[in-house]
Amino acid sequence: MVEFRLPKNSTVGKGRIFTAAPGATNVKNFRIYRWSPDDDKNPVVDTYEIDLDKIGPMVLDALIHIKNDVDSTLTFRRSCREGICGSCAMNIAGENTLACLKPIRDIEGDIAIYPLPHMPVIKDLVPDLDGAYAQLRSIDPWLKSDTLPPPDSERRQSIEERAELDGMWECILCFCCSTSCPSYWWNGDRYLGPATLLAAYRWIADSRDEHAGDRLDALEDPLKLYACRTIMNCTQTCPKGLNPAKAIGRIKELQLERKA
Amino acid sequence: MSNPKKPHVTVMRSQLSRARGLGSGQAGVGHWWAERASAVALVPLSGWFVIQVFRLAGASQPEVAKWGARPLNTTMMLSLVILTFYHTQLGLQVIIDDYVHGKAHLPAGLLMKGIVFLLGLFGTVSVLKLALAGSSRGRIAAG
Repeated sequence: MVEFRLPKNSTVGKGRIFTAAPGATNVKNFRIYRWSPDDDKNPVVDTYEIDLDKIGPMVLDALIHIKNDVDSTLTFRRSCREGICGSCAMNIAGENTLACLKPIRDIEGDIAIYPLPHMPVIKDLVPDLDGAYAQLRSIDPWLKSDTLPPPDSERRQSIEERAELDGMWECILCFCCSTSCPSYWWNGDRYLGPATLLAAYRWIADSRDEHAGDRLDALEDPLKLYACRTIMNCTQTCPKGLNPAKAIGRIKELQLERKA
Repeated sequence: MSNPKKPHVTVMRSQLSRARGLGSGQAGVGHWWAERASAVALVPLSGWFVIQVFRLAGASQPEVAKWGARPLNTTMMLSLVILTFYHTQLGLQVIIDDYVHGKAHLPAGLLMKGIVFLLGLFGTVSVLKLALAGSSRGRIAAG
């Protein structure tokens, strides 16, 4: 059911304020969601006053600075710091994006940082993505072909066939899109979400794959696929500039095409 | 010894099992396409209706009855009424799918469809009454 209000144990309180060192001139406030499973306390928002002259340009630089120099209890995922691993996906200033690709100077005023919306929180900015990963696994995101590859070479594709995959192979599975989607918030237990549907179409569109029909069969469901209401939050938020909404639209077109 | 404070776990089903769920319902294409097709059909029908309402502005009751009795107008009016309520039902079903979960889902859909069906039928009967009554001049004068 739709939840218009947060459950009592999820309402967010005021947290601590970490003041900047005296003499800091270029200070920006980072208001960061904090929650720990280790005590029975409600989540709070801590405020960190950060001297931007001391850190790099991206939001992730600020988070790493906080963890290293201000408050080592702050928990978040990060790895590659260059937008290819998808670990540091979080909600920054109201938008799901990668902390490593989001320049601090693009955000006016205080910077609010929350975990990806409507997912269970493990700690602080770390969401539980097990369900989303299982949904990705459920669409068999790998090449399925009954024709054996040539014994002496790889499976070949024309330049045109390969071009079909552009805009899809670049997905890094950060789940910014799925967690920005109201349909996924309300029906995430059955709706697969844009990230998984983009991956599904990536294999449907692959000229080397021979199971497009099975894949379409598996998606033909009022909620798995058709809970998409073309809200387009997915495309607007994608930190890699991809268009999951278009991929979902293509799947719907193919579902119709094979009926006639 | 089990920890008495530890919450009782009721779901140990794997994430993959939950993600696969009951599999695909093998439905949704028809609903999705009907929603779009009826929406497109309603554009000219609604435009036609608005124009007719302006043309009939200030007309007397017998004039409107005469207009409603013309077969072309009756056909257009019936198409408009039936498609409007058909489309309404499709759209409201989407809202119920989105926002009503669990045991309430099926009764909510049935209730909605019943109400929309009755409203649509009422509109249809009204158009037919206008159409059939208009063909009998005597009754118009009496009514």
